Amino acid sequence: MAGITIDHLVALTLLLTVLMLSIGAYSQIIGAAIIQQQNHHIAMKAYDLANAIFLNPGYPLDWGQGNSTPSAFGLQDPDIGGYSLSPFSLQKLLSTQAQVYYYKTGLWYSNNSLGGGGSLLVPVSSCVNYTTAAKLLGVNGSYGFQLVIAPTLNVSISEVNLNPLRLKVGVRGPGLALSGATLKYFLYHAVPKGGQYPSIEVFSGTGQTDSTGSAVLEFSSVDGSQNAYSIVVYASLGGLSGVGYRSRQTLTDNQIIPFVEDLENRIVLLAHSWDVHQFPPPVAALHFNATFFLLTQDFGLREIQLSESAGLVRSGKVNYGEGFPYYRLQIPIEGEGILVVAYRWGNNYGIVMMPWGVSALGFSVTFGGDPSSADWVATEIRQMTVNKISYQVKLAVWSTKGYQHWGYKH
Amino acid sequence: MRTIEIFLAAAILFVAFAVAAYFAILPSPRLVSSPNLRELALSTLETFDANGELSRTVFTNPSDPSWASLQIALTSSLPPNVVYNLSVYDIVTSPTGVVTYSLVRSISDSQSDLGAGSDSSSKVVTSSNVTFTVNPQKIGENIGKNITLYILNCNDANGWWITGYTAQSLASDLYKLLSPYFQRTVLVNSTSQLGTILDNTALQGERLQDAVVINTFGEAVPIPAGYYTTQGYDGSSYAKYAYILGQRVNTYNWTWVSIVGYPLYYVTNTVTFAGSQNSWGIYGMIDVGPAGLNAFLRGLDSQSYSYNNNWITGSPGVVQFTWNASYYSNYYGIYPSPYQTSTRALPTSILSTYHLSVPTNSYIFRVVNNWIAGATFNHKGSDDKIHGSLTAIGLTRIPDIRITALGLLQHYRPTIYKSEFGASGTSKLVVLQLAQQGGV
Repeated sequence: MAGITIDHLVALTLLLTVLMLSIGAYSQIIGAAIIQQQNHHIAMKAYDLANAIFLNPGYPLDWGQGNSTPSAFGLQDPDIGGYSLSPFSLQKLLSTQAQVYYYKTGLWYSNNSLGGGGSLLVPVSSCVNYTTAAKLLGVNGSYGFQLVIAPTLNVSISEVNLNPLRLKVGVRGPGLALSGATLKYFLYHAVPKGGQYPSIEVFSGTGQTDSTGSAVLEFSSVDGSQNAYSIVVYASLGGLSGVGYRSRQTLTDNQIIPFVEDLENRIVLLAHSWDVHQFPPPVAALHFNATFFLLTQDFGLREIQLSESAGLVRSGKVNYGEGFPYYRLQIPIEGEGILVVAYRWGNNYGIVMMPWGVSALGFSVTFGGDPSSADWVATEIRQMTVNKISYQVKLAVWSTKGYQHWGYKH
Repeated sequence: MRTIEIFLAAAILFVAFAVAAYFAILPSPRLVSSPNLRELALSTLETFDANGELSRTVFTNPSDPSWASLQIALTSSLPPNVVYNLSVYDIVTSPTGVVTYSLVRSISDSQSDLGAGSDSSSKVVTSSNVTFTVNPQKIGENIGKNITLYILNCNDANGWWITGYTAQSLASDLYKLLSPYFQRTVLVNSTSQLGTILDNTALQGERLQDAVVINTFGEAVPIPAGYYTTQGYDGSSYAKYAYILGQRVNTYNWTWVSIVGYPLYYVTNTVTFAGSQNSWGIYGMIDVGPAGLNAFLRGLDSQSYSYNNNWITGSPGVVQFTWNASYYSNYYGIYPSPYQTSTRALPTSILSTYHLSVPTNSYIFRVVNNWIAGATFNHKGSDDKIHGSLTAIGLTRIPDIRITALGLLQHYRPTIYKSEFGASGTSKLVVLQLAQQGGV
């Protein structure tokens, strides 16, 4: 009798153990399959979103050049179509960088500046933010996304010698240095004009990179240690194009900062840097002279005169503190280009460049949420052009709904 | 005993698990999370061809340095862990129509095949040296009639409501636009030549019956001296000349085309009427008024002549293309503005008064409040066959002759034969295959 009881006890224990093991093992299979399915669904969503964002201009088609919020979100260039993005729509995306406050307008500005003499500050109120974009794309509350739009080529410029000015240009892609690339460069040199206003001398030319993807540009009549200069270099080879820039100035704390005021009417205001980032004395008023250079089809920069009427200027004196208003100027035409502002205080010079359309200076844009805390992120990578400059765009998508009750991680 | 049974049950469960695990093959994590190589390849091809650089390169000699540039650019632009193989194929079409692809050149940064995990995209590129031609069907060809196009280009007549142009410049432009669609195009260079064709005599041996006659003189119509200035005058008005024109259009089954304004409002002959002006200071022209069109329609409808100077056109204002006009605008590649201003539109009442009808495809503009701003009106005789037509563009000045061309083309609808896109030597197939290196 006792033997039968022990036999039943052992059998029952074994049965329960085997059942537990079986359930656990099957759960592993089913759980892994569910996670794979969920991840696959996110990957498909990333593909759909990439098509929706990159292959659709949104509505209105020219929303990047207006002040209103689009009623449909998309970044495709409506004038070109295909795999090209609008430089102006990109300009209106709210950057993930820290915003800048300018107390004289009482506004916060989205900061897409890359530094090094290039600046792009757009009012936050004119920008499309992440939540709006997510709502327009129909993923708000269900999926998160982040867009990173960066030039494919890195065109770096370094100083070899200051007098005469010699600059080394390096062109690299993500995979390799670009040898044999054609270079087209434009050097803007701030020089005395007579009186207290600076003038801009332009030097331009072409070159070619060697087998290491480098080239040296020499400006025999330019003393780089004097005054200030900015250089913009466009590189192209076999259907791939990129742009880089560099500035040098003798003024450090006292600067002019351009802010976009009105995208639709292309109004830019010029502020004294002391009113934006206060710094210790000496502080000085700055005389400036501004010019717009239109980016042409073959990567040329054509000077377009700024108008001087109805409160618009192309030169003036920007002072700081209360009682000294900023100046307004107008980008003269709708095309993409670069606003170059040379400024001066005594024998100290500076230059700031603001791209009108992000690709004129090869600015990159990061827009959207933060994927670092997501469980699983699907990524789409595509090659695009922005006004003929090659860009690589990465779209990261993740689920914002709680999931993975099964699985390996918990 | 129970323990043995449990062991047996456990064995069955484990076997079942093994079988399930064997058949439940999950995709590798990489298949789910890897970049979409197909889209990356397609976007790479598209962006490399955005400036036509890819097309230029693949049509060069395989030893051309631009291939090396393309290779460097490809290697530089793709992520370091992505390898590629770019293959270019010639598209060869045999005389029997069989298409084959022959490899022209392949470039790669990988020593071996890219493997089963690779993905690819393709693009057909076209040589910039190739001109694609279109061969329009000749109007009337499909019904066995060689229809002639006459364009009035009389050097002894003046135009009205063609401000900014001369009839001769309009005739030249119309010739360029429309002559490809007609078997013969004849410029009628004088009023006497117009008299010749009105008298049923060909100018260059062309077929006169069923012809299209475009009056480029706007609201004025050239009048030949002699028979037509005498018989076309009723004692007080040259409206009777318009009546005779209507009769001729009926007899020869012509399509008479008025390019702008009120049709047949003036008659013009700079020699015969050298001392007369149209009340607006244009000499060589005499005012007929609305009676001209009324008389023309009576002549077209084989009614007896009577002088009727009642104004019959209206001003519907801004008018819009019909669906047909938009469609044929795209089909023939003629793009005038789809919105125009009409101040001389014909009333729908003339359809019943003069036995006219407008085929659906022949309306250029939508009918607004019973006003037809632009259309081709067919006149049907008692035998229910078409005997003459009138294309009237009742827009305000100045004329856009593209609307005239579009109106005629959408009325006759000649077919466009386009050269084949994939013809031998004109296109190449470019395939970009990508694969990831490393990892699982």
